[in-house]
Amino acid sequence: MSVFGGLTGFVLRRVLGAVATLFALSVIVYVVFYAAPGNVAQITCGPRCSPEQLHQVAQQLRLDDPLHVRYWHFLEGLVAGHDYSTGTSVEHCPAPCLGVSYQSGRQVMSIITAKLPVSLSLVAGAMVLWLVLGVGTGVLSAWRRGRTSERVLTALTLAGTATPVFVIGLVLMIVVCGEFQWLPFPQYVNLTDDPEQWAWNLLLPWLSLALIEAAAFARLTRASMLETLAEDHIRTFRAYGVGERSVVGRHALRGALAPVIALNANNVGSAVGGAVLTETLFGLPGIGQELVHAVNVVDLPVVVGMVLVVGFFVVIANTVADVLFAVADRRVVLA
Amino acid sequence: MSEVLAASEAAATDVSVPAAPGARPFWRRLRAQRAALVAAVVVALLVLVALAAPLLTALEGQDPTTYHPGLIDSARGGVPVGSFGGAGADHWLGVEPQTGRDLFARLVYGARVSLGVALAATVVQIALGVTVGVAAALGNRWVDQLLSRLTDIIVAMPLMIMSLALLAIVPQSFPRPVLVALVIGLIAWGNIAKIVRAQTLTLKGLDHVAAARLSGWGAWRIARRELLPGLAAPVITYAALLVPTNIAVEAALSFLGVGVKPPTPSWGQMLTAADVWYQAAPQYLLFPAGALFVTVVALTVLGDGVRTALDPRAASRLRVGTGRKREAGAETPDTAAGPRTAGTDPRPRTAGTDTQPRTAGTGAEARAAGTDKEETA
Amino acid sequence: MRQTSVIARRVAAASVSLVVAAGAAACGPEDNDAKSTGGDAQPHKGGTLSVLNAQPQEDFDPARLYTSGGGNVPSLVFRTLTTRNRENGAAGAKVVPDLATDTGRPSKDATVWTYTLKEGLKYEDGTPITSADIKYGIERSFAPELSGGAPYLRDWLVGAADYQGPYKDKKGLAAIETPDSRTIVFHLNKPEGEFPFLATQTQFTPVPKSKDTGTKYEEHPVSSGPYKVVKNENDGEHLVLERNPHWSAATDAERKAYPDRIDVRSGLDSSVINQRLSASQGADAAAVTTDTNLGPAELAKVSGDKALAARVGTGHFGYTNYIAFNPKVKPFDNPKVRQAIAYAVDRSSVVNAAGGSALAEPATTFLPNQKSFGYTPYDPFPAGASGNAAKARELLDEAGYKNGLTVTLTHSNSKDFETSPEIATALQDALKKAGITVKLQGLEENDYKSKIHDVKSEPGFFLAHWGADWPSGGPFLAPIFDGRQIVKDGANFNTGQLNDKSVNAEIDAINKLTDLDAAAQRWGALDKKIGEQALTVPLFHPVYKRLYGKDVKNIVISDWTGVLDISQVAVK
Repeated sequence: MSVFGGLTGFVLRRVLGAVATLFALSVIVYVVFYAAPGNVAQITCGPRCSPEQLHQVAQQLRLDDPLHVRYWHFLEGLVAGHDYSTGTSVEHCPAPCLGVSYQSGRQVMSIITAKLPVSLSLVAGAMVLWLVLGVGTGVLSAWRRGRTSERVLTALTLAGTATPVFVIGLVLMIVVCGEFQWLPFPQYVNLTDDPEQWAWNLLLPWLSLALIEAAAFARLTRASMLETLAEDHIRTFRAYGVGERSVVGRHALRGALAPVIALNANNVGSAVGGAVLTETLFGLPGIGQELVHAVNVVDLPVVVGMVLVVGFFVVIANTVADVLFAVADRRVVLA
Repeated sequence: MSEVLAASEAAATDVSVPAAPGARPFWRRLRAQRAALVAAVVVALLVLVALAAPLLTALEGQDPTTYHPGLIDSARGGVPVGSFGGAGADHWLGVEPQTGRDLFARLVYGARVSLGVALAATVVQIALGVTVGVAAALGNRWVDQLLSRLTDIIVAMPLMIMSLALLAIVPQSFPRPVLVALVIGLIAWGNIAKIVRAQTLTLKGLDHVAAARLSGWGAWRIARRELLPGLAAPVITYAALLVPTNIAVEAALSFLGVGVKPPTPSWGQMLTAADVWYQAAPQYLLFPAGALFVTVVALTVLGDGVRTALDPRAASRLRVGTGRKREAGAETPDTAAGPRTAGTDPRPRTAGTDTQPRTAGTGAEARAAGTDKEETA
Repeated sequence: MRQTSVIARRVAAASVSLVVAAGAAACGPEDNDAKSTGGDAQPHKGGTLSVLNAQPQEDFDPARLYTSGGGNVPSLVFRTLTTRNRENGAAGAKVVPDLATDTGRPSKDATVWTYTLKEGLKYEDGTPITSADIKYGIERSFAPELSGGAPYLRDWLVGAADYQGPYKDKKGLAAIETPDSRTIVFHLNKPEGEFPFLATQTQFTPVPKSKDTGTKYEEHPVSSGPYKVVKNENDGEHLVLERNPHWSAATDAERKAYPDRIDVRSGLDSSVINQRLSASQGADAAAVTTDTNLGPAELAKVSGDKALAARVGTGHFGYTNYIAFNPKVKPFDNPKVRQAIAYAVDRSSVVNAAGGSALAEPATTFLPNQKSFGYTPYDPFPAGASGNAAKARELLDEAGYKNGLTVTLTHSNSKDFETSPEIATALQDALKKAGITVKLQGLEENDYKSKIHDVKSEPGFFLAHWGADWPSGGPFLAPIFDGRQIVKDGANFNTGQLNDKSVNAEIDAINKLTDLDAAAQRWGALDKKIGEQALTVPLFHPVYKRLYGKDVKNIVISDWTGVLDISQVAVK
């Protein structure tokens, strides 16, 4: 059995596992939410809805079907898409169809795709910031370990971890946008419309989210660096008179990068969780804000769709991380 | 924020702590760390305050629910009358805007809810995680496959989003603090199950466990006598870091409007009500934020200390290599002969990524190592 | 009933409520109508007006909107047969013609209403507006797919009860006749002197049948007003309106339409909205909000800043927050228990919980304290500012609860400062003094609504609110106290389940009146009569206080809506 073949097998198993996980996730999420009590038809139809209207709404939403039939229908839609009636016309919901919102009558997939750019902008920008901040702080505090500056940095990262994002964000906004007016109050601008305004408006949300996430990276980087610095080959470098800057900056940092990448790849779920809070606070029209809205009006198709989409990203990220590490590991073994 | 904490704590947690050291050396090593000691005292104080909340408020002569309309200025939105939010001999920390309820009383009663919810959630997480992890490691291939898949699914569920959605659909008649604890506990046990499974696999391969198996002990007896003591160290370490995470999750859920409901005072609940008062009545925001901050910092530092005390060998690199190679091996039929042990892996830092999503296992250990060096240097 | 439009969907931190308002026309010095903010007060055309809102302008389809007087932003795009008078204070509570030449010509018994359209009315594409389009617009609001509007049309039009809309039933509604392209006649199944008020709602907007796209019409509804929709992102989250070149000021006496462009952003946290309006930097200088009140915390800040305080518009909307009883549930079947609670209520702490005396006015009447509603002051169970615990105990003794009483108060968990936990805990504290132990049952908004509006699950003791569909006693009292409006198998709003023949008869008698002043007086008297039964305990009428940007001019706040009228605002 070739090494490569073994790797392919591993990758295949991982991907199949991911598919199975996603399928099971969809079953669990669907059942948990749709089996919950609550008169969905009444909520959708609104106050002062006549019994006939109520019946019609229930029929339109297929609420009278048993759960497994509805799940099957949902799965069909996911794979093949399906048609539904809007009253005036029959609409097609193309695969992957996550259903149609109870509240707005829009397709869940199109709601999510409309909101996704905002959340991606938020998370991507924040990710750059938290990597820079986190790794930078980590390197610095590893390098300066034992000194006052390291203790200050450690305290700062702890502070970042221990302050809720909604407090940091609000205080930042009041101070930066309200008191000093250094930045505009964040308001989402499409990247394609005006990249400069896009970045300018997102700076504060990025910072709020990044401050909190950065702490984890700082701790991890510092720890890995300290470990690497203690390793034999680093001692050898030092013995050979390689400059301290070079030792820390190049060799030790390189060793610390792998776990940082791993943490980052596995951070998708957490980042989306943080994005829910950040979007809610700053009023950014992303999927987090939409989810909070959907939860409040019990718009189950949207809730289920969003949970599944986020779960999808988490599973994909985990799988990619695993595969990357399998590849990296082989190299290590082969080397 | 909460999940971020989860990430940081997971990042800093290794899965490869070997069998528990004796209790005495553990205490000695814990005592040797000044920061951890201070943190332990702070945590103990917090717990004491939470337990003694009725006593403390009686001492102050207040309670957390009585309104004092005379102490607030109704025409100005109900901002407290007087400087420092109306603080004084009667109301040690002043009163809450809009209601005039005593802030100190609400803060100490809030500690009960915040700490209680967090601890209860941690207990649920550990109970589930240990059960599933041990069962997966000791069960046959199918059991392991099934439970590991289940763990994967749980890990794939974004905590914040799932709990947000779940809390909104559960009927309100269900007692809220219990529900919040349950939901957090039921969603976020995946990582601990993975850690426990990996650790159990390691322990299973150790000589004395193998001997016990050969001598025909039942699985339950082995689990109880040989494995659980060995699991104590990583589980305690992880738990110490789960508590602050859970406190933060509760606060975040309250912020989003699905957590503990008023009039029950919880810190998250108070922060939610207080954040807009930042300018008009700053102390209303600062006290709960400060309390949350101190608690999370103290617990995190204590958690770090506990890990260091439990795992002194980290420094001497005599670690049980964990991680994806062994893990992958265990999953791969043709190499499933059994887990390899001990630091044969030249690059342990790449380990752990499989057993522990979003954590490169070594990070923590390396950190522990670093700490040790600092202490001894 | 403007419930849905008012419900806070905010989950965010803010304590700013979306509270709605009510109040007397003459209510003190605060009631500055803020005609302008000094300097060059003359409004000019041009510029972009920003609207910063918490709630998206969802379902921007005239059939689906539930508005009072045609709404604020919707009224820029949708003209209706009649509309509200765009004037400050009480004058703004009058109904005036819009597309029609007058407010309607009733038959003798007010069961037939005839309207004639003005000449030269055009849609945004230049095609003429016809009476048939108005009929079609009303008909499509009956389609189940386009539900959401007020129930009056179904209740009032002859033969409309089971009508399913023009998609299923092509014949249309016989109750609406269009003898020619400018005339439209409505046949009602009972006298309704207030039909002109109903004709202000967006269901009376013309919809050209050839442009109707069903549930998708909301993406681009055809404008009859001064602005047309050029962008509608994510179901009303971001709405951009620009001038409709075919609208003519000569046919529209109400809308000023100064700005060239209107940019409506929503989904914003309410504390962010208020921060932005108070900072008033950049484009926010020309910004207003149509749905976000100043919160108590912000009020505390604003009250210390004169420049900021000058930029606060204060208004009143007909609205009452109250305690509701279900007398079918023990012990609330006993009037003495209900009266005891009415006496024990501490309105000052309730007002504080609602944001303080600047944001809420204590209420003892069910009708809002405005003349147009027929406000008649009364207080059958005088509790004073902070409750009369002694009197309450006395009544409880008589009712046989010598050792106190334990009851459950149901409320919602939304953060609206209306039926929310803050109000409930304030009541809990007050009732404790009278020996009544209150357990709180907080429900999620939807759960709460479905429970309290279902006669089978209605709790005995809960928080409720009611807002005006138009400024008159009719839509305020009839849905709540008319015995024939008790709905057994749907959403019921007569929560006291009162079915009193004399009350029903009086409602019918007042509905026959087309003299609205005379009607108002009798509504007031009826309110007093019902109030004595203690089926509700009125708590407070909210007050609107809203910031606007420093470049915003020509502020008009009517008693009809209580908020600045966006059709009057200028930014130049």
